[in-house]
Amino acid sequence: MNPIFKEAAAHVDNQVIRDWKARGKKVIGHTCSHVPEEIITAAGMMPYRLRGIESETTSIGDTYFGPFICSCPKAILQKAGEGAYKFLDGAVMVQSCDSMRRLDECWRAANEDYPGILPGFWHYLGVPHKAVDYSLKWFSQEIELFKTHIEEHFGVEITEEKLLEAVALYNETRDLLKELDEIRAMEETPLSGQEAMDIVLAGTALPKQVYNPLLKETLAELKTRKTHHGGKKRILLGGSVVDDPSLISVIEGEGAVVVADTVCFGSRSFEGLVPEDSPIMLTIAGRYLHHQFCPRMFGYYKDRMGLILQKIKQANVDGVILQNIRFCDLHGSENGLFERELESMGIPVIRLEREYGAMADEGRLRMRIGAFLESVSVGNIEKPAA
Amino acid sequence: MITAGCDVGSLTSKAVIIRDGRIIGSAILRSSSRPEASAQTVMGQALEQAKISQDAIEYCVGTGYGRDKIAFVNESRSEIACHARGAVWLAPATKTIIDIGGQDCKAIRLDKDGRVEKFLTNDKCAAGTGRFLEVMAKLLGVTVDDLGKMSKKSREPVTLASTCTVWAQADVIQYVNSGIPLEDVGAGVNNAMAGRVATLANAVHAQREVAMTGGVAKNPGVVKALEKLIGHKVTIIRKADPQLAGAIGAAVLASDTMAGRA
Repeated sequence: MNPIFKEAAAHVDNQVIRDWKARGKKVIGHTCSHVPEEIITAAGMMPYRLRGIESETTSIGDTYFGPFICSCPKAILQKAGEGAYKFLDGAVMVQSCDSMRRLDECWRAANEDYPGILPGFWHYLGVPHKAVDYSLKWFSQEIELFKTHIEEHFGVEITEEKLLEAVALYNETRDLLKELDEIRAMEETPLSGQEAMDIVLAGTALPKQVYNPLLKETLAELKTRKTHHGGKKRILLGGSVVDDPSLISVIEGEGAVVVADTVCFGSRSFEGLVPEDSPIMLTIAGRYLHHQFCPRMFGYYKDRMGLILQKIKQANVDGVILQNIRFCDLHGSENGLFERELESMGIPVIRLEREYGAMADEGRLRMRIGAFLESVSVGNIEKPAA
Repeated sequence: MITAGCDVGSLTSKAVIIRDGRIIGSAILRSSSRPEASAQTVMGQALEQAKISQDAIEYCVGTGYGRDKIAFVNESRSEIACHARGAVWLAPATKTIIDIGGQDCKAIRLDKDGRVEKFLTNDKCAAGTGRFLEVMAKLLGVTVDDLGKMSKKSREPVTLASTCTVWAQADVIQYVNSGIPLEDVGAGVNNAMAGRVATLANAVHAQREVAMTGGVAKNPGVVKALEKLIGHKVTIIRKADPQLAGAIGAAVLASDTMAGRA
């Protein structure tokens, strides 16, 4: 595997971004899988999914956010406050959920105390919580406003042709990552969940033009690699954002292998292509609005449950670990529903609440995960009809 | 057949030696900052009581937070597995186990074959743990044992507004300062503890027989309040010190492993 994947997965900044910036090119950060990155790419810029990794404290984050807020946006603000995001030329805020939406105000407020941490381009993108005809109309307008804002702010033109090119590029990434999912799911899985997570995370911190060819090489290499994970308990990881590989390393350290996931930043992000038709702006809006894999989207519980069952079957999963960051109402409540339904089908499940960040409560999680894995047996689930 | 279990917990370390289904040696001591040293010392004491040497132990299972640091174990298992096995060995009809340790508490539901079916542990905070009782006992100027007996003497237990160890201290100090009888405050502490643990027990759908293990099982005030809250009688283990249940489970799992090999 190319070493840039590990670097990009483990650090906020990486060599490719430094080279990109050295050539005078722009980077736009954002916080949600509902942000149509194609628009940013079509403007000749690099989209970057913001993370709060490598935070050792949330002292800055805690100052601006309330106490009952998810620690993920707090950690992102921490990095911003520490100046780690000064390479950004712009940022897009989304009301993904209540906690993430607050990042908009908190980042701007923090900029008064830590001047210079707010990127020059600042955009708030509204994303509806329902996918219906009138919300599609509204969301299309939101994306139009976003496009116009970029064009006016940076003095660029985003043409239909460039958008089509960007869509083709992203669809290629999605196809390749789906292939990675299939390789992970194989009976003789050649890679650990941690490696798979590194590969997927790198894609959020590299321009797709650089990422896709490297990803192709890696997939070819994986196809010839021998398994190191035969006989291990096969785990599906579900729930809220997992954007550093440490949680997976705890699970795998206890002797299991994570062969599938439905987490944000993970497999959820690349479900669903953008049809390459015109009007391209509307088809882009359609894809991102119907991206119903986050519980922020109302009315799709059955589809999300269906995706879990499909992956359990596809990857021959022995047990499911559902986790959410504390104060995540969306994933917290949905995980409870998933747990009940999966257990009624005889599928072993554990539900964990945790703090965001590199193993904020590792000892406790290790104990629970270890005990859960002891009670999971290999090849024991009667595979659900998904 | 001689097997042993060693449970290096966050507050205390426990060792148990079993010969042919009978406990022949056991020890409990305060954990030091070095789990490997705690394990050595506590096992040394158990060996002394059993009048055997370390070499006589055929198989040893380690558990507890310090389990990976114990040099002399053959295998390490989770506290959940050990407490479940220990409780079933001590009280065979057990279907639900409530274990309250020094810094965590757990509720475990077993299937009909005694296997772990569902478990929950408390979150990373001292509410609902042995530590909570220790802090409160100190504040009341009584021993943990005496705190347990206070519920019986109390006529009007106070209500603690919070089970957070830090906030509850403020409540307790206020009650004591305003002249409320100590046993009413002590009973309030025991009730708060029981309330916290009952939440876990109810969440795993506790079923009869419910057994309680861990040091807090020695507190009759908490046990009585818990019975009321979960609507089941709680079996008090008399065959051995309930604080040893994890180490006993480890030793029994070690015997199971040996028996499986025979």
